[in-house]
Amino acid sequence: MDKEVAIIGYAQTPYEADAEASREMQVLEVTKAALAAAGLKREQLDTVITANNDYLDGRTISNMRLVEPSGAWQKNESKVEMDGAYAALYALMRILSGDHGIAMVVGESQASVYGGYIPGTMMLDPTFDRQRGLLNEVSASALQARAYMNACGVSEEQLAGVAAKNLANAAKNPLALRADGKADVKKVLSSRLLYSPIRELMASPLCDGACAVVLASGKVAAKSGNPVWIKGVGFSHDSYLSERSLAEMSSLKDAARRCYAMAGIEDPASQLDLAEVHECFAHEELMAYEALGLCAAGEGGAFFDSGTTSMDGSLPVNASGGALAANVACAAGLARIIEAAMQIRGEAGDHQVKGVRTAVAHGQTGICAQENIIYVLGGE
Amino acid sequence: MAKSEVAVAGVGLSKHVSKRRDVNIAELVWEAVSACYENAGLKPKDIDAFITGNMPAFEGVNLPEEWGAGHWGAYGKPLLRITTGGTTGGSVAHGGYYAVASGLYDTVLAIAFEKQSDGNSTAGLNTVAIADAAAQFALGVDPAFLAAFGGGAVGVAVYQASSYMKSSGCTTQHLDKVAALCRNNAALNPYSHLKQPGLTPEEVAKTVLLQHPIRFGHVCPATDGACAMLFTTGEKARRLVDKPAYVLSVASCSDEAAMVGIAGSGTTNVDPCTQESCKIAAARAYELAGIKDPRKEIDLAEPYAPFAHQMLMFYERLLLCDEGEAPAILDSGSMNLDGELPVCPSGGVISTNAIGASAMERVAECAQQIMGRCGERQVKKEVHKAVAHGWGGAVNLNVVAVLSDTPRR
Amino acid sequence: MEYKNETVSIEGGWPMEHWQWKFESLALIRKTLEALREKKLLGLKCPGCGLVYFMPKPYCRCLSIPDEWVEVKDTGTVTTYTFTGAWAYEGIADEGPAGTPLIIVGIVLDGTDTMTVCTLSDAKPEDVSVGMRIRLQWPENPEGKLEDLAYCVPL
Ligand SMILES: [Zn+2]
Repeated sequence: MDKEVAIIGYAQTPYEADAEASREMQVLEVTKAALAAAGLKREQLDTVITANNDYLDGRTISNMRLVEPSGAWQKNESKVEMDGAYAALYALMRILSGDHGIAMVVGESQASVYGGYIPGTMMLDPTFDRQRGLLNEVSASALQARAYMNACGVSEEQLAGVAAKNLANAAKNPLALRADGKADVKKVLSSRLLYSPIRELMASPLCDGACAVVLASGKVAAKSGNPVWIKGVGFSHDSYLSERSLAEMSSLKDAARRCYAMAGIEDPASQLDLAEVHECFAHEELMAYEALGLCAAGEGGAFFDSGTTSMDGSLPVNASGGALAANVACAAGLARIIEAAMQIRGEAGDHQVKGVRTAVAHGQTGICAQENIIYVLGGE
Repeated sequence: MAKSEVAVAGVGLSKHVSKRRDVNIAELVWEAVSACYENAGLKPKDIDAFITGNMPAFEGVNLPEEWGAGHWGAYGKPLLRITTGGTTGGSVAHGGYYAVASGLYDTVLAIAFEKQSDGNSTAGLNTVAIADAAAQFALGVDPAFLAAFGGGAVGVAVYQASSYMKSSGCTTQHLDKVAALCRNNAALNPYSHLKQPGLTPEEVAKTVLLQHPIRFGHVCPATDGACAMLFTTGEKARRLVDKPAYVLSVASCSDEAAMVGIAGSGTTNVDPCTQESCKIAAARAYELAGIKDPRKEIDLAEPYAPFAHQMLMFYERLLLCDEGEAPAILDSGSMNLDGELPVCPSGGVISTNAIGASAMERVAECAQQIMGRCGERQVKKEVHKAVAHGWGGAVNLNVVAVLSDTPRR
Repeated sequence: MEYKNETVSIEGGWPMEHWQWKFESLALIRKTLEALREKKLLGLKCPGCGLVYFMPKPYCRCLSIPDEWVEVKDTGTVTTYTFTGAWAYEGIADEGPAGTPLIIVGIVLDGTDTMTVCTLSDAKPEDVSVGMRIRLQWPENPEGKLEDLAYCVPL
C-alpha cells in the first residue's frame, strides 16, 4: 500500500489499575485529544469504529453508550469485538472503499470493572474446557510458555529477561502502569509465581484505559502535518488452543507473511527499525520475534540474548514497555500502533529511539494469542 | 467510489426454530455456511477472509469463534468479529461489503448467528440495561419501581408504537394486518420460524394484549438460527453465478442511546419513533447508490421489524414514502408479494428472530429476491433494486444496504 | 450399541456479580435528587451546544461536558406512552379495563431537551395522547429520591 491511508492523530489515557473515570469519560478524553492532535472537528469525521467487548464492559451492546463519547453521534458507527488494532483495520477497509475519508478508531476497557480473568474463561470451549475449570488466560498461557520453552530451548531466565527489559523501558514511558528502571532477571524471577513458569512480572497487568487513532485517506492525510502511512496489514485466526501446536504462533506468522507482501518487506530484520509487540506474557515476545521473521524459527531466546531488541539494539522491541507495562484489553494492540507511530514521528519523548522510519505494530485477541494482526507503518 | 465492485454470490441459512437442541453453536452455523459454500460453488480454501458476529449475551459465551470457527473453515484465515447488538447481522454484512470494496480481500464469507436457546433471552436483553440498573440500585431506587417502567424489548417497543401511531394515524387494525401479511409470507419461506398460513388480521386481534398497543401476535419469536453470505468482486460473482446481486451501497447511523423505561441520565433521543438515524443512514445509502428517488427506484424492502408497527414506521424512515403514509400504502395492497413495492417477503423479523442473524437475513432476502431464488415467496415483479435495514441498540442504531441486479455505475 | 439422540445442557451464563461499573452520572443525579427535597428540579446545561439534560448527564453528544446547573419547570409534554396492568394480560382490554391500569408516559420537561419516564395519574388510558401537557405531581414531603418524580397529572 502506498500512501493510501495514514494515521494523522492519536491519544492515550494514562494506564491505571483502577481509573477514577468511567469508560465513557476515558473515551471522551481520548476522542477529543485525538481530534485536536489531528486538527479536526467532530463534524469532519465520516466514520467511527470502536473496539470493545460486551463481557469486558459488562453490558450487552457495549458500543451503545459509547456513541456520544466517541464522537459518533448521528454518524456511521460500528464496533469490532476484538482488539483495537482490528478496529483500525475495519476503519482502514472503510477508507480504502472510497466511501469514507476520515475515521476515528477507539479502543477501551476497564479491568477494574470486569474483575480480572473472568471474561477470558468465557472464551473457552463451553462444553469441555469451561466446565473443567482448569484453564484460564494465565494457566493456558503457562502451558504455551512451557511448550515453547521445551521446543526451542528457552529458559526461565530468558523470559525474565524480556520482562526486565520491557519494565525498564516502561520507566521512561509516563503512561505506563507497571514500570521499573531497575528491573532485572533476579527481580522478575523472585516475583510471585502464578502458574509455572509464569511469574507476576512476566504477566501483563490487566488495567483501565482507552486510546484513539484518527485515520485519513491519502488525500486528506497529505494536507496534514505529519502523517504516518500504513504500508501493510495482515491478520489471521489460529485454531483453538487444544487443536494446534502451542509452541509457535502460526497465525502471527501467517499475518506477517500477508502484511510484508503488501508492504514490500523482504528482510524484516534489516528493513524494520522498531517493533511494538502486544505480548500478554513474556514468552509471547520471544515467540513473536520468530513469527515476525526478526530471527529464524526456534532462535527467539538467542536473538533476545544478542541484545538486538533492547533500547540500544538495532531493532528495539517494545520501547514503550509493551503490554507487560500496561495491558488494556481491546486497546493494547491499538496502543502498539500509536507507540510505533510516535516513534516514527519522533514524538516518543524519553523512550524515543533514534532514526525510526519503518516500524511494525502487533495486536492480538483470544487465549494464547489465537488471533493476530500486524501493521507496517512508515513516515514520509 | 469503491475500489472493487461488490456482489453477493451466495446465501446460506440454517433451519430456524425456537430451540435447536440437536446442535451446538458451531454446528448450527455450519448449516448456513455449508449451504452458502454449496450455492456459490466454493470451498473453504477459496475464502480470503471471514467476518462474523452475534449477540454474545444470549449464549453466555464470549467470542464463540475461538473454538467454533474451525468448523466453518476459518482457521489460518483472516477473521474479523463485528457485533453491534440488534444490528449485528447488518453490520457483519457491511463488513463483508467493505472487506471486498477496500480491494484488500476478493472473496469474503460473512456469518451472523444466534442460538438463543443456549442462554436466557430475557437475561440477554436485560444485560443491555444491567449496568444502568446497577446505577439505579446505587441510588437506592426500589427495584419494583424500576420494573414497573419495563426493561426488555417489548418495553421499548410499546412507547415507540404509541408514538408512531399518534403521528401516522396507524391503527391497531393496521398492526394486525402487518402481522398477518408477514406470517403468511413466512409460511412460504422454508427458513422462517413462525409459519402461519392463512392467518387473518382478525385472528391476530384476538391474541393477548401484552402492553398497549402491542399484542402477542404483533411480536417476534425467539429463534435459533444462522445466516451466511458470500461477498466477492463483481467479476468473480459473474463467474460463480448466473445472476449475482450487487451491493450498491451500505450506510449506518448511530444516535444517542435512549433507554426508554429506565429513568436515569437524560437522553436527547426523546421520541423513539423519530428514528432520525434511520433517515440519515437511508439518505446516505441512496446517495452512494446513485438513487435519486427511492420511491420510484426501490422495488422491494426488507425493513427490520420485530414488532408490527415497525414495518410501517421503517418503511417511512427508509424514505419510501412521506411520514404517515405507510398505513394507507399497506391498505392498498402495495406491500404484498404481488404488490408494487413488496415489504418483508421473507416473513420479516416478526416471524423469525435469531437476533444476531436477523439484520443479515434482511440483506440476504434482498439478494435472493434479486437472484430469483426465492421459490414460492419470489415476488411477482422483477426486482432491480432492493433496500435492507437493521435496527437495534437502545432504539438508536440503524444500518441500511442497497442491492441491485446491475452494478453501481 | 444403541444410539440415543440425547443432548446435555451445560451451565453457560454470565456471572454478573463480578462486575463493578463506574458512573460519573451517579454524583450528578444525587445532586438533582437532593434538590427534590425543596421541590426544585435541577438540570445540567451543556456549554458546547446549550442542550439541557434532565436527568443530568456527564457528557454530551457534542463532546463537551455539561457543567451549568439550571432550574427547570415541573411542566412538560408527553412524547410517548403506554399502559398496562394485570387486567391486560387476561386479554380483556377491549371489553373495558378491570382494575386500575398503569399509564406510563415519556415526558420532556419544559426547558429541557431530554426524555424521562413517569406514571400518569388522574387519567384514563383513552385520555392520554402524544403531545398532551402534564405537570409533575409532587409528594407532600419529597424525600430526595427518584420516586419523588413517580407521578404526573394532566395539565
Ligand atoms: Zn453539547
